[in-house]
Amino acid sequence: MASDDLFRQPLIWFVLIGLFLFIADSRIGDDRHEIVITDALRDRLATLWTTQTGLVATEAEVDSLVDNWVKEEVLYREALRLGLDEDDSIVRRRLVQKLGFIAESEPIPAPEIGELEAFYQQHIDDYTLPVRYSLQHLYFQAIGSAQQALTQIEQGVSSRNFGEPSMLNPSFAYRSALELNATFGADFAGQIADFPIGSWQGPVQSGFGFHLVFLNAIHPEQITPLDAIGQQVNEDYRRARQLEARDLYIENLLQQYIISVELQ
Amino acid sequence: MLRQYSSISVLLCVASLSACSDNSTTTMTDLAQKAANSASQPVQTADPAPARTAGYSAERNAYFGDLHVHTMYSFDAFIFGTTSSPDDAYEFAKGGSITHPAGFNMSLQTPLDFYGVTDHAFYLGVLREMADPDSELSKHPVAAGMDSLGGAAERGVKFREVLGFLRGPDGDELNDPEVGMSAWSEIVAAANRHNDPGTFTTFIGYEYTATASDGGNLHRNVIFRGDTAPNLPFSRLDSSNPEHLWDWMDGLRDQGMDSLAIPHNSNGSNGNMFMLIDNSGRPLDDAYASQRMRNEPLVEITQVKGTSDTHPALSPNDEWADFEIMPFMVASTLASQPDGSYVRQAFLNGLRMQAEDGVNPYKFGVIGSSDTHNATYAGEEFDYWSKVGLRDSDGILRGSVPMLEPNSAGDIYVDTYFDTWSAAGLAGVWAEENTRKSIYDGFRRKETFGTSGTRMKVRFFGGYDLPAAEDPDMLAKSYSGGVSMGGDLIGEASRAPSFIAWVAKAPDSAPLDRVQIIKGWVEDGETHEEVYDVACSGGPLDPVTHRCPDNGARVNPSDCSLTNGSGAPELRASWRDPNFDPDQHAFYYVRGLENPTCRWSTWDAIRAGVEPNPNLQPTIQERIWSSPIWVTPQL
Repeated sequence: MASDDLFRQPLIWFVLIGLFLFIADSRIGDDRHEIVITDALRDRLATLWTTQTGLVATEAEVDSLVDNWVKEEVLYREALRLGLDEDDSIVRRRLVQKLGFIAESEPIPAPEIGELEAFYQQHIDDYTLPVRYSLQHLYFQAIGSAQQALTQIEQGVSSRNFGEPSMLNPSFAYRSALELNATFGADFAGQIADFPIGSWQGPVQSGFGFHLVFLNAIHPEQITPLDAIGQQVNEDYRRARQLEARDLYIENLLQQYIISVELQ
Repeated sequence: MLRQYSSISVLLCVASLSACSDNSTTTMTDLAQKAANSASQPVQTADPAPARTAGYSAERNAYFGDLHVHTMYSFDAFIFGTTSSPDDAYEFAKGGSITHPAGFNMSLQTPLDFYGVTDHAFYLGVLREMADPDSELSKHPVAAGMDSLGGAAERGVKFREVLGFLRGPDGDELNDPEVGMSAWSEIVAAANRHNDPGTFTTFIGYEYTATASDGGNLHRNVIFRGDTAPNLPFSRLDSSNPEHLWDWMDGLRDQGMDSLAIPHNSNGSNGNMFMLIDNSGRPLDDAYASQRMRNEPLVEITQVKGTSDTHPALSPNDEWADFEIMPFMVASTLASQPDGSYVRQAFLNGLRMQAEDGVNPYKFGVIGSSDTHNATYAGEEFDYWSKVGLRDSDGILRGSVPMLEPNSAGDIYVDTYFDTWSAAGLAGVWAEENTRKSIYDGFRRKETFGTSGTRMKVRFFGGYDLPAAEDPDMLAKSYSGGVSMGGDLIGEASRAPSFIAWVAKAPDSAPLDRVQIIKGWVEDGETHEEVYDVACSGGPLDPVTHRCPDNGARVNPSDCSLTNGSGAPELRASWRDPNFDPDQHAFYYVRGLENPTCRWSTWDAIRAGVEPNPNLQPTIQERIWSSPIWVTPQL
């Protein structure tokens, strides 16, 4: 009767059921992770093989590639479990790079009507030709000769009577300051920028000697119409939006963090 | 459009050859056949001529550029620490600034007119991939440590290890066409993105990095004419025989894709660049000569790894021959033999072959270029960053400044070959306007010149109907009555042709010392050369010695200040060869010399506050070389 009593004790039932569950779990249950071999994986490994060897992998070779991949995957997961990815600059850099690619590869929708125009206006400097100069010049090795020539030209003698031969072209049309400086030497353009149009001026010093300069025209900055460079503006727009998307992505992530500074 | 242009270019090429050369009949026939073949292709309707750009000049402008530029996609540049892309390289050439791997900024005082990124085709982009721990390539034993390279010494060791492996029997293990194709398409896209007709020209290009069996350098840069290129460049993995490269280029040309190959560092070729036999040991015949000249109309005469004009051993009577000589084979400290390695000797040997067999495989024009591996042109003495990234980024590494303390052997200066390198290499071309088509056509005409870094210009004409050098309409008359550099003249029996040699100084460099004409000729089966001064800044020319007097120019090496003496902004001369013999084959080219200025190594020392390295030249005479004009006897 004592045994009957014993089985009526709830505590005993509790212990027995617990024991049963423990044994059952250790025999049947499974806390192992799953690695799934899909057709996509097999195809990817086979393609990689072909790229590297130039040969088409046989079924047996693919099986062996899969085996290797599984072993590697197991090691990889174990490494993650042990936290080996932490404080590793290479892993860190690679992950950051990958996320950067993802953030930047978000498709950029085509600009709405007006949006491209607004972008173009915002970046109008990029689509504006700089101030350019059209000029004639007379070249002299010595500053004295240049001064004498100028005096005579101002007295009405034709400028054709003056100037020494030089490899420089006698006239230049539509040249920017940068282009003039490349041809004549540093800061030639700066010296002529304030000259009046339509008269001989100077002397101006260059890398070769001295020049009298006759400005035919100063062409003010010129904006290239959007119609003429639509494709370029479109590309610039896309690139700008891509960079914005990446910055925004980082900004949003930053919102999720508190950056505290503990300097000593 | 592209196809049509290139058949025109072949036709032009035929026209210019037939205008000049009396004994390359087979060449002409071959080319004419090719032209006829491509002319029979369907695209024949003439498009209206494209509008001329603002700077167009019928008498042609000089444009300056660099056709030898490596970026992060080159296997070696990557090891040197270069992370600059082709986009960065083009931005730099247009006047932008990029950061050297050592941290300082690099920019040009004056932007360049044209630029061509030419990364090594072999293992294109592969090293970058090896440094990516996620890639298959990073698992290769050679990749070990690639992602964490440190200082100059470590990078030097890694460079030699990788280069040794890549050149070895198992190098193919690291070849990954997928990686190469992806990098190449980026290079092509970047070139097209930055090409801006009228303002800035880019070229699609790459370096073919072949090596002879003795380690001699056979490198060439391949430059494409158009805006398209094959999926992958032809590399040394396809063949180390340059003749096979030309076969590939011929095949592309037949499909309407014209390109040219520009050999460089013949000085480091150990005699292999300009041999008298072909790759299989046979004497050079007409087929070889015409194929080589069809594909290689230009050669780099100077670059950072030294000048290849001539060598003191080859030109003992040329007082200016000892200029920036780099005595080694490329990427080694083994001596490179001068014989067969220098441009002037190749011109001479070509002339002799022409006289004997009617075949001249060495009738090429010249350019300079830098061969930078930092993506940035490196031709300024006073602002020199050399060309191999973290390996030679400061004076100590380059041997111009003493080490912090002497090494165990007691050496004060580091043991390096970087001190034999130069701040050098500009390509110059005469072209109507700054467009790909116009500049490329200038390359094909060989109307080109090279400089040791400064922007000197040279005009050079030859003919029997030239105007006076000072004629105000000289250019137009010379183009119509003679030929420009790169051209041919048929010698007349009764009189010598005249030449006009005209050099202008660089706007921002020293005045000119003198202008010379270098003549080469064949007499009784022997080759000869002579250097004639033809225009002097220092006073009258001595008619017996053909030498200019000293013009009084001096350099103060303690601060690099200059005494200009009577140095001139321009020098020009009409000249007739006093020893002209109408029965001899001859060539003539111009060499213009600046007044002396400080060499980069002296600038390094001044900036470091130390004495210049006494083993190095303290000053140099920057110079310009024109392509030759060839004179062939009348038959």
